[in-house]
Amino acid sequence: MMILNKFKLKLVTIVSLAIFLSACQFEISPWATDVNCPASVSVASNLAKLEAFEAQQGPITDYKVALLSDPQMYPGAFEDVIKRINTMDDVSFILLSGDLSESGLKAEIEWTCKAMTKSTKPIFAVIGNHDALGFGQEMWLSVFGPYDFSFTYQDSKFVAYNDNKYEFDNVPDRDWLQAEGAVNAGEVRQNTIAVSHIAPWPHDLELSQNFKDYGFDLTVHGHEHDFNFWQLSDVMLPHYITSFTKFDEYGILTVSGTDLSLENCKGGVCTPAAPRTITN
Amino acid sequence: MAPLAYSSEKGVYLDVQSGSLMGLVHASAGYEYTDRHHVMGGLGYVPKLDEHREMGLASIRYRYQNPMQWSFAALDRDWTIKPFNLGIGLLYADHDELFVSLPEQYPDGYYGPTGLRAIFNYQAIVQFDASFEAYLDISVIDFGLAYYIREPDFFYENYDFLGLDGITNWGVGMRYWF
Repeated sequence: MMILNKFKLKLVTIVSLAIFLSACQFEISPWATDVNCPASVSVASNLAKLEAFEAQQGPITDYKVALLSDPQMYPGAFEDVIKRINTMDDVSFILLSGDLSESGLKAEIEWTCKAMTKSTKPIFAVIGNHDALGFGQEMWLSVFGPYDFSFTYQDSKFVAYNDNKYEFDNVPDRDWLQAEGAVNAGEVRQNTIAVSHIAPWPHDLELSQNFKDYGFDLTVHGHEHDFNFWQLSDVMLPHYITSFTKFDEYGILTVSGTDLSLENCKGGVCTPAAPRTITN
Repeated sequence: MAPLAYSSEKGVYLDVQSGSLMGLVHASAGYEYTDRHHVMGGLGYVPKLDEHREMGLASIRYRYQNPMQWSFAALDRDWTIKPFNLGIGLLYADHDELFVSLPEQYPDGYYGPTGLRAIFNYQAIVQFDASFEAYLDISVIDFGLAYYIREPDFFYENYDFLGLDGITNWGVGMRYWF
């Protein structure tokens, strides 16, 4: 009996190891860049998804956008928020304001991608400062696409831009932002909304005035791991910062024609948010 | 059958590993400083590859080697399998785009080190000579272990083998005991 038990233990150990090994990856180092994320998380793929949704939906004036940010280190909490957003029929798409990883490692990006694939709605990721660490910039371009991009949905333009000043030179690209803010001849534009990871930096508050001059109506961000909403008294352009998803927190932007309103949400409970006016 | 004895009970050995996060090749000097407890220091290398920058690696590692072992004879030699061994190590990567000390442009505490990671590992060792042994190494990076402990359901639901498939990597190695 003892011999049988020992034999069984050996057999179970060896077979378990063999099966487990077949699922494990042969990874050379933590700093590899062959990140394994599905194409469905890319900006291009989600733009196509949103276009198809809009075409099916037809023109509407009222809709919502979910604002999520900073899912790094808690992919499970992020997935839970995504599943919650999936149940909200009036949310058309998700803006994800960066920091999908903590240290720009391949494995971290893959875990976040796994959660993103649970979204039934288009989801657009903007690069955060943590995503640009290590070899994260290279992986970002291969998985998600460009750092700066824009799209129009229901006559509102959404402009995603990179303003991670420590990790990139000469950001944001003001010329590009100005061009994106401009309304072309014949174009019907209800709103122009910018999204980036970091709100206008304290030493670059001129950007708030720039956005106003370029025709933007609102900017939305993450990075601070808490809700914030402010506008400069001499500019009066609202800048909304959503919290991180770790504690089931997210923002909801409601678009109703040219009216834009924001809510801070935790779990399923949302409360209206109003901007603080601060003196520059 | 009696298990194979090492050429020296407590001794020094050379360890060469590939994969399991330690580089394409990682050579270490190891020492069994007391029964079952091993320490190693090593250097590794990854050449420039499509999916990896060229970089040098350095490590210090500790391994606890459980005394449980199974011996058998096959192919005209004696073999000993040591199935349960656990280790922890620090892995440093030498590359311009990674850092351990925060570069000057950042405020204090803005980031943790990007070029230094803790690695946890399991080894199954096969000894086939008094001086030689080979092993299978399965490792997990610090983030992987932390995330798995914090949010096990995420890994259970998204990966196989109790979610371990999502955090583990494998490699192989050999040791020569002096």
